[in-house]
Amino acid sequence: MDFLNPVINGFVVVLEPSNLLYCLIGVVIGMLIGVLPGLGPAATIAILLPLTYNVEPVTAIIMLAGIFYGAQYGGTITSVLLRLPGEASSVVTVFDGYQMAKQGKAGTALGLASIGSFIGGTASIIGLTFLAPVVASFALDFGPAEYSALALLGILLVATISNGAKTKALIAAAVGLLLATVGRDIFTGESRFTFGNLELADGIDFVPIAMGVFGLGEILYNLEERHRAAKAPSKVTNVWPSRTDLKQASGAIARGSVLGFFLGILPGGGATIASMASYAMEKKRAKQPERFGKGAPEGVAGPETANNAAATSSFIPLLTLGIPANATMALMFGALLIQGVTPGPQLVEQDPGLFWGVVNSMYIGNILLLIMSLPLVGIFVKILRVRAAILAPVTALITLLGAYTINNSMFDVTLVVVFGIVGYLMKKFGFEPGPLVLAFVLGSLLESSLRRSLLVFGGDPTGFFTRPISATLLTVFVLVAVLPGIRTLLAKRTTAQSEQPITTKIKEKV
Amino acid sequence: MMHFPSRRTVLGAASAVTLLALTACGNVAGGSTDSSKYPNGPVSLTVGQAAGGSTDLIARAISEGASKTLGAPMPVVNKPGANGALATKEVAGKPADGQNLLLVTASLVTITPLAVTADEAVNIDDLDIIAGLSQDDYVLVASKASGFNSIKDLTGAGRNITFGTTGVGTGSQLAQTVLFKQAGVKGTDVPFDSGKPALTAVLGNQVEVSTIQLGEAMPQIKAGKVAPLLVFSEERNSFLPDVPTAKESGYDVPVAQYRAVAAPKGTPKDVKDKLLAAIQETFKSDSYKEFNKKNMLTPKEISGEEVVTQWKDYAAKYKSLVEKYDISLSGTK
Repeated sequence: MDFLNPVINGFVVVLEPSNLLYCLIGVVIGMLIGVLPGLGPAATIAILLPLTYNVEPVTAIIMLAGIFYGAQYGGTITSVLLRLPGEASSVVTVFDGYQMAKQGKAGTALGLASIGSFIGGTASIIGLTFLAPVVASFALDFGPAEYSALALLGILLVATISNGAKTKALIAAAVGLLLATVGRDIFTGESRFTFGNLELADGIDFVPIAMGVFGLGEILYNLEERHRAAKAPSKVTNVWPSRTDLKQASGAIARGSVLGFFLGILPGGGATIASMASYAMEKKRAKQPERFGKGAPEGVAGPETANNAAATSSFIPLLTLGIPANATMALMFGALLIQGVTPGPQLVEQDPGLFWGVVNSMYIGNILLLIMSLPLVGIFVKILRVRAAILAPVTALITLLGAYTINNSMFDVTLVVVFGIVGYLMKKFGFEPGPLVLAFVLGSLLESSLRRSLLVFGGDPTGFFTRPISATLLTVFVLVAVLPGIRTLLAKRTTAQSEQPITTKIKEKV
Repeated sequence: MMHFPSRRTVLGAASAVTLLALTACGNVAGGSTDSSKYPNGPVSLTVGQAAGGSTDLIARAISEGASKTLGAPMPVVNKPGANGALATKEVAGKPADGQNLLLVTASLVTITPLAVTADEAVNIDDLDIIAGLSQDDYVLVASKASGFNSIKDLTGAGRNITFGTTGVGTGSQLAQTVLFKQAGVKGTDVPFDSGKPALTAVLGNQVEVSTIQLGEAMPQIKAGKVAPLLVFSEERNSFLPDVPTAKESGYDVPVAQYRAVAAPKGTPKDVKDKLLAAIQETFKSDSYKEFNKKNMLTPKEISGEEVVTQWKDYAAKYKSLVEKYDISLSGTK
């Protein structure tokens, strides 16, 4: 029972009124931006990062996490009602969700999505609860060699991050790696690419890059997009799915939970891929695949379950290894660093209150979302009427103010503006900003760990294979090198089978 | 890389704006001439390290006490960058009216210059030191798996020993490289980003020994997970009375982290006196004493002049040690 003690203490942390409040704020913001097609969770978290600066670390992460999984719920609503996916991870929900709405079963679709999301999210938290202590028990065996192998694995996956074109992702990742080299060499004290400027002596800070590329870049890019006018949504009645619907969807929910859980853990995976993979799987398994695209309940329940499961399980590599699996997790990583918490295998042991507080807040958050999402659908849809001309300047201002407050540095504000422009141009020319930011984070980890390991090994690279964990990780590295090919195939199949023009437009979003 | 050309101009403009904003509250012509009115508005205390670290905590403890006596708020401003050089250069460039103070660390003045280029180094003569604060000791700890329980075990091991440091140009690195040279032990210097990862590396036996600040190491020492071999202070540390000093063990390598409050060069004497009085008042308070104890800091409440002399002595000593043993802190052997 010793193992359960910290878990229970985590609940004590969550149930503190301020933490509950921030959890609620997080999921509400998450739902709101989930509804808005422009702003994704990565952008929102980037913008709100500095606001968490004066809050307790656990409270801050609870809120930011709430935004992330809350957005998965919000995205569903507009997918079903307006055929307008609020989030990239809800794109596939459009195919059957909107058809169901047309048949007057909008309530059923939303109900199924909510129930699926809740089950998927909860299943992942349970998985996280049991997996984390296992990883943490190896905590002290994680030395420089293991981190080098992990970072290498992460960068490989980042470079092959599915959505955009491979070459462009590779270019973005390479730029990220280059940016990571700026600053004083931590092994020799030599200045690299600082041009004699002390502001750059510690390298470029991660937060301004993220705020620029994801936050400001996204805002600028959205200004260019002409939004479809929000039309009146279909009437939502009877959100409780019928017994037949539930029965039809239950298999999809179960499979979506498992699939989402595993795809979320994989670096480079995440909610979007999980939802697509789940849709493809359901369609393949179905006895009458022709029902898909015409309002099949499994086509809503599966992907919606999977995206929530993946959103939750992607916290596993971050909180247990300190490796962000996707762009949003890279931002969480940044948020923790701002708070002076370095995520890694030691986190569970050194800061159990924070770890279990955040993990357990997800149970509460999912319950809050389940309660809110159905009755409040009408209100959330109204958000779509807020014009970009109002939303954009306000968010841009918050971003810049926030950037200043972290280090009281105008230099950081300049960085945000510069990277905002970079992010905008990247999106405009079809480059994913995700690989850049992730490679930036992992690049400095890889460099310092690799050099540190080589020092420890006396310069002998075969040393990596003498340690069981690093040897295993390097083997996985080789194995995983083949996996993206298979996954792209899967994803391609899904997109090919659907002739929805929205897909291409939305999938550029992180 | 298109952002580089514009950087300097924007930076200049930015600091000009900050300056304007800060001087706006002290809107007296010449500022320094009217020092009887000091403090004129909030007195900012800039810290060159991120919030939450030991330097930051000390700054907050000082500001809490001194602001009461001064009768003006004393906000702590974190401006991390280049080990604190960034904050130092910024405060040194502010008007010398006592409204902008700096919490300066000794290693930045005494050790970092040995590892970085001259134009990145900080010169203590650019500042007026108001008061010395405390001493933060370094302790050499060994992992369980290394089997070292005393410094003799280490020097007698007869093999190459990996040692973790808290970074290039830190006291941790200097203390260990000099110690290893003096003891004639072969060692590999493995720099980490700060004390915490260096300690973790010892716990996981990634490196055999490491030198970190006492406050950080103490919980693991008490838990028996790492063995303290020696402290680098000149006298035994009161929190670790059974652990010998390097000096007792026959090594001439006195290293500790010291901290002091500083103001821009040329701050009027009566302003400095007021500040000193406020800081000394803080020293007397129970809460500050308690703070020092809790963070394993040894009070070193000396005058500004003494700080300058001592730090310059240390800087000279370290320079000669490094030259004598032909040590390069930048890892190029």
